[in-house]
Amino acid sequence: MHFQSNRFSTHVWLILTVLTIATFSIGEAGLAGKGIMLSLLAIAFIKGQLVANYFMGLRQAGWFWRGIIIGYFLVVGGMITVAYLIGLK
Amino acid sequence: MFSRKGGGAPLLFYREFPNMTASATPEETCSQETDGPPGDLAIWIFILAEMLVFGVMFLVYAFTRANQVELFNASQLTLSRTAGAVNTLVLITSSYCVVRAVSAIKQGMSHLCANWLSGAILLGGLFTSIKLWEFSEKFSAGISLESNDFFMFYLMLTFFHFMHVLMGMTILAFVTAKARRGGYSAQNHVGVETGASFWHMVDLLWIILFPLVYVIR
Repeated sequence: MHFQSNRFSTHVWLILTVLTIATFSIGEAGLAGKGIMLSLLAIAFIKGQLVANYFMGLRQAGWFWRGIIIGYFLVVGGMITVAYLIGLK
Repeated sequence: MFSRKGGGAPLLFYREFPNMTASATPEETCSQETDGPPGDLAIWIFILAEMLVFGVMFLVYAFTRANQVELFNASQLTLSRTAGAVNTLVLITSSYCVVRAVSAIKQGMSHLCANWLSGAILLGGLFTSIKLWEFSEKFSAGISLESNDFFMFYLMLTFFHFMHVLMGMTILAFVTAKARRGGYSAQNHVGVETGASFWHMVDLLWIILFPLVYVIR
């Protein structure tokens, strides 16, 4: 049981690693634009949820606490998107 | 509200793979839902306040950039994206060590908990070393807070985060020392969860900071 549980945490860590490499690769490829920006924010959102739910343990804390983290990423990410779009004009 | 009702990593597994956990006891199954987050509630108020401050700084950066896109994009190219990415991996891995430390203490393995926490602190040290190298590179190139708006934000945001890493390492060092003395147990480990929550917040903020400052253009 202990081993399997730790294995699950290891899987989460591996996913986080792959997503980080994806972000880095997008940067190295010099990709830019609205779609790329949204993809990078989406990756950050997924990583944030993985850390909050499975590393911080908020999955067991109820929707109030999970909602705060989800809301934080949506508001900050949404405003970053608005600022980026303003910059395109 | 502050009491921990058991659960933790094993119960997380029950939820993810219910068909593979036939040995779950009724007591454990009932304790999956808790009222509050792990650790002391006070640290969570602090965490939310810190996230709010960083959130405002992220948005001020983003809206300042909107008026100086070319300057920000050109300045961003001078950053070491590799160092930023490596530091992201270092922080994520240190967070994983902390997860394992919490998992260990929930099973009463105090020494193992301390070992995992020591690993997290060492990785925190690696993060700060890489960051200091980045800072020294910029300073030796004549870059300062006054160079332009991008570098002002870059230095302020990353230094503010850097200070939080140091604070997190200090908290983890105290928790580690207490764990080595056998100060925590399977029944009483709120202190470990409190330190862990702060450290994960440091990771969470970097998850936004890295793409925002180093990659998005």
